Amino acid sequence: MKSRTAFLAAAMLVANACGSDEPAAPDSITVFAAASLTESFIQIAADFEDQHGTKVRLSFGPSDGLATQIQEGAPADVFASASPKWMDAVAEDPGVTDRADFARNVLVVITPADNPAGLDSAEDLGRPGIKLVLAAEGVPVGDYAREFLGNAGIADDALANVVSNEDDVKGVVQKVALGEADAGIVYRTDVTAAVAGDVAVVEIPDDINVIAVYPIAALERSPGGSLAPEFVTYVLGPGQTVLREAGFLPP
Amino acid sequence: MRRRLPAVVVAFAALGAAFVLLPVAGLLARAPWERTGELLTSDVAIEGARVSLIVSLGAAALSLLVGVPLGLLLGRASFPGLTVLRALALLPLVLPPVVAGIGLLTAFGRRGLLGGPARALGLELPFTTAGAAIAAAFVSFPFIVLAVESGLRSLDTRLEDAAASLGASKWYVLRKVTLPLLAPQIAAGAVLAWARALGEFGATITFAGNFRGETQTMPLAVFEALQSDPGAATVLSLVLVVLSLAVLIALRGRFVGVGS
Repeated sequence: MKSRTAFLAAAMLVANACGSDEPAAPDSITVFAAASLTESFIQIAADFEDQHGTKVRLSFGPSDGLATQIQEGAPADVFASASPKWMDAVAEDPGVTDRADFARNVLVVITPADNPAGLDSAEDLGRPGIKLVLAAEGVPVGDYAREFLGNAGIADDALANVVSNEDDVKGVVQKVALGEADAGIVYRTDVTAAVAGDVAVVEIPDDINVIAVYPIAALERSPGGSLAPEFVTYVLGPGQTVLREAGFLPP
Repeated sequence: MRRRLPAVVVAFAALGAAFVLLPVAGLLARAPWERTGELLTSDVAIEGARVSLIVSLGAAALSLLVGVPLGLLLGRASFPGLTVLRALALLPLVLPPVVAGIGLLTAFGRRGLLGGPARALGLELPFTTAGAAIAAAFVSFPFIVLAVESGLRSLDTRLEDAAASLGASKWYVLRKVTLPLLAPQIAAGAVLAWARALGEFGATITFAGNFRGETQTMPLAVFEALQSDPGAATVLSLVLVVLSLAVLIALRGRFVGVGS
């Protein structure tokens, strides 16, 4: 978390250092992507680098935090958000082009592998004494999780069980994988190979689940020239295979 | 008598002062003053200030409880491994706080080394205010250790010897002679420890999580606000700036004496 703060500070510094009189080298682009896209975008960026011979710099975080950084002048060329809300904010200021939805995602409940609280279904999250960890309000997955709890009719009980509001979805995964929390609500795609052994998944029925829509766009002020729209096109094209393998649904 | 400094030193000193002033000026320039009243009386600010106060004072108390004895031990005792122990005692000053947080989880977390025994006693630290205070104490108690140890070095030991020669017990000498002589250093160390605890972020969010009214201290509230409402973050930041400045001014540079 501290490194995220440090990053934010660094991003601001870089933003100020690379003023308009000193455009970034056109052979590299910077992609700001929602934390839930971490593994997929590392792969997609590597493939893109191989094909285009350009360097792709990646920065992951909560979509709301990334949107704020971009509005504060962070030198992003492409923004991939876990929610239309924060893409709308960036579209308004400082402006985007080539916007398109590129993936969808659903929520799951995760518990530590040994499921210490004995959760059988998503509705059990309202049971007294469960230690539930969510992403903070404003973070897309945090908002989606609260929407799902409302759909399930257990919002009041479940929210009373919340012991921590994490900064982004990866924070939720960590707290559960470390065994400190009994349950967390994350995207299905966050149950990656790296944590699959540490967590167990409790599926959420489709009728009460929430579908997250992921938009991507190039920043209007992108100093990367045509590279930014090319990266967007790449995510919408060849990148889809990677996203599908990670468990994302088609847009 | 004041000696004049070379101009180049003054110039770089001005740079140094500007280095500190500019970010504060930036906060002042950016703060949404028309929303200040509303933001300062918001739940986030009030709960954040309350939790910060409890956590930082609790951390300072915990730090005193273990930091003073450890400082005395390091300053007075002589045994193999002293150098290693001294380095260990200062480790939290150097470690990235997030590492401290992970360390605390592996020690006091549910699955940590002491997690089982602690739970048996009904003590659960992660996600509790007590846990946040432990995290803050962990990173701040070295300030007290340092202050006590350096205070001992400049202490006139003849006073202690005199008390002992008059028949005072070890405990009596410590209480009536040593600790009163060290009081200024201990106080300065405690204030620094408190200030460090007030600013704690990484170990807290890693070990204790982030929950308003429970573990969300002001720095955590600032960080959360920054993600979606930077204006609110600047106002909350200014609260911390004012509070910290007030403490430092009240202390009037006394801590400069520590370590000299």
